[in-house]
Amino acid sequence: MNSTRRNFLKASAALGAACSVGFPDIWIKNASLAHAAGGEVKVGILYSLTGTTAIIEKSLNQACLMAIEEINAAGGINGMQIKPVVEDPASDPATFAEKARKLVLGDKCVSLFGSYTSASRKAVLPVVEKYHNLYWYPTLYEGRECSQNVIYTGAVPNQQQQDFVPWLVKNFGKKFYLIGSNYIYPKEENNVCKILLKRLGGEVVGEEYVPLGHSEFSSVIQKIKDTQPNVIFSTVVGDSVVALHRQYKAAGLDPAKMPMASLTTSEEEIAAMGGEFAEGHFTSAPYFMSYDSPENQKFVAAFKKKYGPDKVTNFVSEPAYFQVYLFKQAVEKLGGKDITPPEIRKASWDQEFKAPQGVVKIDPKNSHTYLWPKIGEAQRNGQFKIIEQSKESIEPKPYWAYPGQVCTPEGLKQA
Amino acid sequence: MSDILNQVFTGLSLASILLLVSLGLAIIYGTMGVINLAHGEFVMLGAYTVWFLQKNFGLDLLPCLVVSFFAVAAAGWLIERLIVRHLYKRPLDTILATWGVSVILQQGIRLTAGAELRYVKMPGWLSNAVPVLGVEVSAYRIFIFVLTLLLLAATYLLFARTRYGFSLRAVTQNQEVSRCFGINAARVYSLTFAYGAGLAGVAGALIAPLKSVSPDMGTGAVIDAFMVVVMGGVASLMGTVASAAIIGQVSGLLAFVYNDTVAKALVFFGVVILIRFMPEGIFSVRVRRG
Amino acid sequence: MTDTNSMRWRLTGYVLFCVIILVFPYILNNDYLLNKYARYLIFGVLSAALSFSWGYTGILNLGQAVSFGLGSYAMAMALKLRTIPIQTGAGGLPDFMVWNNVKALPWFWEPFHSYTFAVFAGLGIPMLLAFVLGWFMFRGRITGVFVAIITLAMLVVINLVIVDQQKYTGGFNGITDLSTFKAFGVGFDAYSLSTYYLVAGTLCVVLLGGLAITRTKLGLILQAIRDDENRVRYFGYDVASYQNFAFTLSAGVAGFAGMLYTLVMEFASPTFLSVQLSLSIVIWCAVGGRGSLLGAALGAILVTGVQGNLSESPTFLDTWMLIMGAIFIIVVLFLPNGLISLAEKGVRLLKHKSARETATHPVAGAAIATFDSKRVRES
Repeated sequence: MNSTRRNFLKASAALGAACSVGFPDIWIKNASLAHAAGGEVKVGILYSLTGTTAIIEKSLNQACLMAIEEINAAGGINGMQIKPVVEDPASDPATFAEKARKLVLGDKCVSLFGSYTSASRKAVLPVVEKYHNLYWYPTLYEGRECSQNVIYTGAVPNQQQQDFVPWLVKNFGKKFYLIGSNYIYPKEENNVCKILLKRLGGEVVGEEYVPLGHSEFSSVIQKIKDTQPNVIFSTVVGDSVVALHRQYKAAGLDPAKMPMASLTTSEEEIAAMGGEFAEGHFTSAPYFMSYDSPENQKFVAAFKKKYGPDKVTNFVSEPAYFQVYLFKQAVEKLGGKDITPPEIRKASWDQEFKAPQGVVKIDPKNSHTYLWPKIGEAQRNGQFKIIEQSKESIEPKPYWAYPGQVCTPEGLKQA
Repeated sequence: MSDILNQVFTGLSLASILLLVSLGLAIIYGTMGVINLAHGEFVMLGAYTVWFLQKNFGLDLLPCLVVSFFAVAAAGWLIERLIVRHLYKRPLDTILATWGVSVILQQGIRLTAGAELRYVKMPGWLSNAVPVLGVEVSAYRIFIFVLTLLLLAATYLLFARTRYGFSLRAVTQNQEVSRCFGINAARVYSLTFAYGAGLAGVAGALIAPLKSVSPDMGTGAVIDAFMVVVMGGVASLMGTVASAAIIGQVSGLLAFVYNDTVAKALVFFGVVILIRFMPEGIFSVRVRRG
Repeated sequence: MTDTNSMRWRLTGYVLFCVIILVFPYILNNDYLLNKYARYLIFGVLSAALSFSWGYTGILNLGQAVSFGLGSYAMAMALKLRTIPIQTGAGGLPDFMVWNNVKALPWFWEPFHSYTFAVFAGLGIPMLLAFVLGWFMFRGRITGVFVAIITLAMLVVINLVIVDQQKYTGGFNGITDLSTFKAFGVGFDAYSLSTYYLVAGTLCVVLLGGLAITRTKLGLILQAIRDDENRVRYFGYDVASYQNFAFTLSAGVAGFAGMLYTLVMEFASPTFLSVQLSLSIVIWCAVGGRGSLLGAALGAILVTGVQGNLSESPTFLDTWMLIMGAIFIIVVLFLPNGLISLAEKGVRLLKHKSARETATHPVAGAAIATFDSKRVRES
């Protein structure tokens, strides 16, 4: 009986401790609600460190933190240090919303940097819109959004495709097979691709969507063999990219005759599949690790030095890096004024920054970014050889495929 | 004609991968009634073992397969000793405990090996297609098919011809009585769990070069494998084999006619209906309990 | 009799908990925390609902998230149709339908213009689905592991279909950009006191109502089915119907929780029907104590609370998942009846009773006792 009681007491003590760990808000009143102290600019970092998309988001988190560290080491913003509050939204939209609320309402951050999937961005939107915060989103996306509380620094469909599709038709032919993961981004990119193909007199011989995380492509490959397209236009994402490329080669297909043209295959996936499987396929993106510019050499060297020599940079981690600099310039421009998210937004318009991919600029019309699309051919060594490059930075055109809908600083308008 | 052949080969390849992943699960579930939700993570550990060996020692895939088997079997043995052993009387609770194990293994790998996708090399001599009966078939898929058959044969011999297999069958049929005959049931269970885990490890090592290696690569595989196991029933290896073959062929066909989502949904739906009418699986005589 | 005595303790616990969650906003009235705890309380409702079918009736439903998600979608559909039309297409067509080239609102969206319909659908669709599935399973005398596997497979299938049918469901993104729910002149903003009270009130009703049911003859039969299905069957009870009742009721409560979740999260997502969430519900229930509605609810609140705050502390940013996994394993191994069994032990110690009554459940014991007396009467 004594020992039962002792066990019980021990266990209750443990439970009590767990409760107080679990709910600090109750015992430290307003613990998490302290305002940012002077001399600091608090920002929230919202990239998944656990769960499915941690595969890519971890590197975004690293690129973002590296930029903050560099800025702070160089004296910060007008003498103020950037203070990152890092959260792990665990690749789950509901957790994204929970952590965004914590960063916006609890920590009073003036901006959030984060997320990779459209689904997670959509989960964060109600929070930043209701509380007029600012969300910096680095990922290429479907270009069908016009929020007044987001700065979009990734590519939208027109930037990735307007040069790419004509180039593919010219070099390989007019028969396209469209394959993507089953969500909004691939469907929208394929909508745009179909419009471009129609203009060029091309045809779509197949369109197929696989569940996210799918890794068995034998049926898809058989359909491709049956339809014999000139180009396989791929918007498959994540680990599926690796499986698709490997099974493509294993099935005896040849990139010289029927290359995969992708908007989503980066150095990250190639490192995982091996250069021999990526060789000869193409990707269109504003940034490649092999791009030759002093800014990029500096970026790549710093990233490798900080996180390890086998690390690669890619077209999502680069915007995750440069958008922090755009944020810095915007806050700098505000000078002594109140640093509030709506003011930062206005100050960010027309900001230019010499990013690793070239000089990028935030478009005041729609808060998207002018970028430098390039076409790269994957090499055996895991890097891309840049084959084509636009002569000037390309204007972002969200809602490109939808005449009549225009994104303006006041939100979406029907023209 | 070549279309039909293609389809048959696709189905066989799908079936062999399914069988590979579910064999270990079927053995563990069949002998001790443990629903091992960490099975997918054993598969993942097998893949990471290959990655580790190739990165550090530059080994070829074949020796890695052997190491994967023993490494993951050791991990399985440890988990059985520490956790699963205490839950044999509460089979439903093994679902919860092994889910905890899977969470830990996933995050553990993410912290030690990194969150990014990892590279595993496919042997050069297997990375192309070879003509079979006038149809181009991936050499690596044939390799998987052959190895699956070998593993199956080895498992059969182990169960049918060795002293351990004899003890195992005895313990499965009646633990109490077999104890009376001097069989160390606890040891048999540990070894069986380790063997099942080891098979999962080999499965992970084998599919790694064809698919991709990431900390959560096992989560999707485990549910598919469960469908194979419940459809096949627990009574015999043959049930698992037949069930993998059927699911493989049917989902290959449906994926070709419709798409992969429809295939998956219909196959799962079909399995649900089947369990309702044959809860003991397709290969067992229905016994009435109670 | 011990039974009434322990019942008094039990009832005190339930009422105390309800009072605490109802006065909570007076201690800490803050938008952010109200929203955060409203979310945890919804998980409490969800977990209590599972406890009713699993802990009390012995049906381990690994697909509990199906009901939750369907409820959530029903509410989201109604709110989506009321969104301010700037992001939506002609005639109030939801934005994602415009993007998927849908020309007119599909027929099954039409009735969601009515809130009343949406609320009934959020309850009714999960219940109907559960009823049909339950009829299918329990008539075939499917039990134990197979129930778990069938419900899990259903979850996967429905999730796949929702993600796949992007034009009607919003696909992987779910249904986002919603308006605020209004009823009886009260707005239910995600951060408002009214939403908190709606959630907390629901949890109180579910706990006390559930407790009441478990005390009726019906409740006792359910528990007897959990303990020995065949024995109950031999008494001439229609076991399948009783099982289906518990299964369907649990689904209805989960569906209602799903509707509330949409209000609190401001979107619906296919991740609300994920295997991950579904297994989490089972874990919450097990950690708190599957055999007690209050225990299950507390388990959910405690686990999600610890998880949320652990992952927010910089020290555990990388390792919080490891710690959560370890906690699950430890609880399953050493506290099979969950944390609430500690409280029950404590009550017993307080009463200076000897510790000879071990892990067996008082209520279950009562159920069997009732049956024994019944048998005597009937024979």
